[in-house]
Amino acid sequence: MASSTDKPNKSWVKPAGKPISGTPVKRPPRGLEVQAYIPELVKGLGVTMKHFFKNTKELMLGEKPDPVLEGLEEGITTISYPEEKRPYPERFRGMHRLTIRDDGSPRCVACLCCSTACPAQCIHIEAAEYPEGDRRRGYERYPDVFVIDELRCIFCGYCVEACPCDAIRMDTGKHAVPYDSREQFIYEKDLLMQFTGRDGSRETANPRHEPGDPTHPGLTREHPH
Amino acid sequence: MSGVEIFLAVVKIAIVLLFIINMAAIATWADRRQSAMVQDRVGPNRAVVYLPNWLARVLVVTPAILLAVLAMFTFARPVGARAALERVTLALELAILVGWFSVMLLCAHVRKNGPINAAEERLVDVNPRSVFYVGIALHVAAFGVTRILPPAVLTPGAQAAGFLLCLVLAAAGFYAASRVSEGKVALRLAGMLHAAADAVKLFMKEDFVPKNGDKLLHALAPLIALFPALVTFAVIPFGDTICFAEGGAKGFDWSDLGRLVPAVTRDLQCPGHAVSLQIADLNVGILYLFAMAGTGVIGAAIAGWASDNKFSLLGGLRAASQMVSYEVAMGLSLVGVFLIYGSVRLQPMVEWQGTYAWGIFVQPLAFFLFLAALAAEGKRVPFDQPEGESEIVAGYFVEYSGMKFGMFFTGEYIELITSSALLVTLFLGGYHLPFLHRDGLTLAIGDTTFYQFKMTHLAVTLISVVVFFAKTILVTWFQIFFRWTLPRFRYDQLMKLGWTKLLPLSIANLMITGVVVLGVESASPAVASALKIVGDVTQAVVALAILAGGVALVAGLLEPVSRQRFLRSTTARFAAAAGGTKATPQQA
Repeated sequence: MASSTDKPNKSWVKPAGKPISGTPVKRPPRGLEVQAYIPELVKGLGVTMKHFFKNTKELMLGEKPDPVLEGLEEGITTISYPEEKRPYPERFRGMHRLTIRDDGSPRCVACLCCSTACPAQCIHIEAAEYPEGDRRRGYERYPDVFVIDELRCIFCGYCVEACPCDAIRMDTGKHAVPYDSREQFIYEKDLLMQFTGRDGSRETANPRHEPGDPTHPGLTREHPH
Repeated sequence: MSGVEIFLAVVKIAIVLLFIINMAAIATWADRRQSAMVQDRVGPNRAVVYLPNWLARVLVVTPAILLAVLAMFTFARPVGARAALERVTLALELAILVGWFSVMLLCAHVRKNGPINAAEERLVDVNPRSVFYVGIALHVAAFGVTRILPPAVLTPGAQAAGFLLCLVLAAAGFYAASRVSEGKVALRLAGMLHAAADAVKLFMKEDFVPKNGDKLLHALAPLIALFPALVTFAVIPFGDTICFAEGGAKGFDWSDLGRLVPAVTRDLQCPGHAVSLQIADLNVGILYLFAMAGTGVIGAAIAGWASDNKFSLLGGLRAASQMVSYEVAMGLSLVGVFLIYGSVRLQPMVEWQGTYAWGIFVQPLAFFLFLAALAAEGKRVPFDQPEGESEIVAGYFVEYSGMKFGMFFTGEYIELITSSALLVTLFLGGYHLPFLHRDGLTLAIGDTTFYQFKMTHLAVTLISVVVFFAKTILVTWFQIFFRWTLPRFRYDQLMKLGWTKLLPLSIANLMITGVVVLGVESASPAVASALKIVGDVTQAVVALAILAGGVALVAGLLEPVSRQRFLRSTTARFAAAAGGTKATPQQA
């Protein structure tokens, strides 16, 4: 047998007569203890039983590993949705919400930046003037109607980027909800203002300086240039 | 045959049928549960029934109240001295068991959900493990105290202990009911409802019959497959013989049912009416079992043929050839056992094992051969080529749907239970527990008796029935484990194993056993007594193994879990900051 390797008895030869290069795959030992089957059967039963008892115990005592935090540990890693939920990442873009001011009115000034930026054209705003005598009249307007069609929304977050007042946010941590009719996906202003952020607050951490406040940095009617 | 005998036969049939049908359902559930636990999954547990709060409370409190009432009425009756000792022991031990178990559960509950009153606040710091250890100590103490009670106080003592048990049960029930959480209660029964929902689904599904299949045989096959699995249980004894005393009238009549003999000797001299707990005490015994098991193949073969499907036909052929092949090894592996037991009836076999040693010790090779042959007969892993999913879809029941499929499925599980019962009867002592004889507990090796505790006939018989069913459940559980451990053999390997390994081995086993039995029979009495001592040692080994297994199980359950957290991903880090996987959508 023509062979170039040191161990001619171990070299395998192709039909063409050329020896196969490379090291042969190591075969598992098949001694009598393996061929007898029963010792191996007992070994295998040991493995399955170890898993069985460990997991049964942990499920019974409610001590199963947290699939997110302890997913690398041995044990059950199934998340029982919806009783358990995997937390979304910190910057997950969920359903929209309209943030509110201290007095409960929306922060939105109806500038239409979000509806202009929206590539899906799912935001509809009807702006309105504050009534005569309101201290905000002349500075800003408010949204009489603010509607988001959540079925059209592509959750790109451009509206949040575009908003100059931090009035629209996508930090609710809620994903799109299944409904059974299209009308239910039309979110109106009142509903959008109900939602809270992940911190449970309906406001936002960014401060708002109303015209007339001592912290207001810009020009106002009281402080003309 | 008198009316009462017919009535008893019906009762026995009902017990066996209820057991195997319920066990088939439970085994289906356990099978899935086990697969999930072995593979680190939660398993199917989504089927749920939401109970109104009041119903959940009623469900919690009713069994406790019923048991309490039962305890009160059972223990209120005055009885004789020996029965009174038994009763006071039983009631005290049960009361202690219910007590520590409830307190342990309450501890776990309080730790999880917080205390609601001052008494529970003390339990917050109590370790459930220490409750368990205190409970065990109380069990031992109560057993010791009942041994030294003077006979005069035994009868009122039994009543007092019964009253205590009643109180503990009622208190545990009412307190548990008061701790049922507010709102609707989700009932999942650890996934058992899922199996029930599947059974309902099977009834609702379309019953599909192949267009060119044989309609009659297609409908008949599941019945033929299910029937032998059901009837094989008839000859298996599920408890020790009960002895009723003869009443005034001649023959076995209804009034005799109330005349249960209070105590019997070890060899059961029953002057009245002996009722064996076995549906049919056939003189051919196990041969009937082989005959019935052999018919099982017909169902599979007919199903394969009638389905007009090549995969079905292949499956049916495989099933037929496999079961015929292993029938031989199965029968021959047991001949050695018959030689030793000296009978083919199952009741004497169990009695022999109770007197000398369990079959697994006298015929270990036959045990493994029989186990393999039984798995092949039942078409179970690793011998499940007839339904090999990866090769021939589902084998002989490819074309079955709805409840016809359900019947094959149930039949397979019933066969599993029957085969477990057979293994228990032939090799694992049947209804017999080490050192527990008809006259009570006798710890003895050879002629030396270490401890003796006389028990009533009723208590021993009840224990024997419970032991038989418990052993069967345990062996079933163990056999299901093979399914989650072993890969399937190749078909030629299967045939080679059957004809060239199991068959020669069983014949060799038979010949060696014959020589040994002949040698022992002609040996001196000294050899016989030495063998008796060896037999008693094996009984002691079994008893110790049972105890050690129980202790190891509880110790393993009580061992605390320690884990390390690896926060490798941003998600995991964010989740850790948020406190882990969340239960509410707002937080998730």
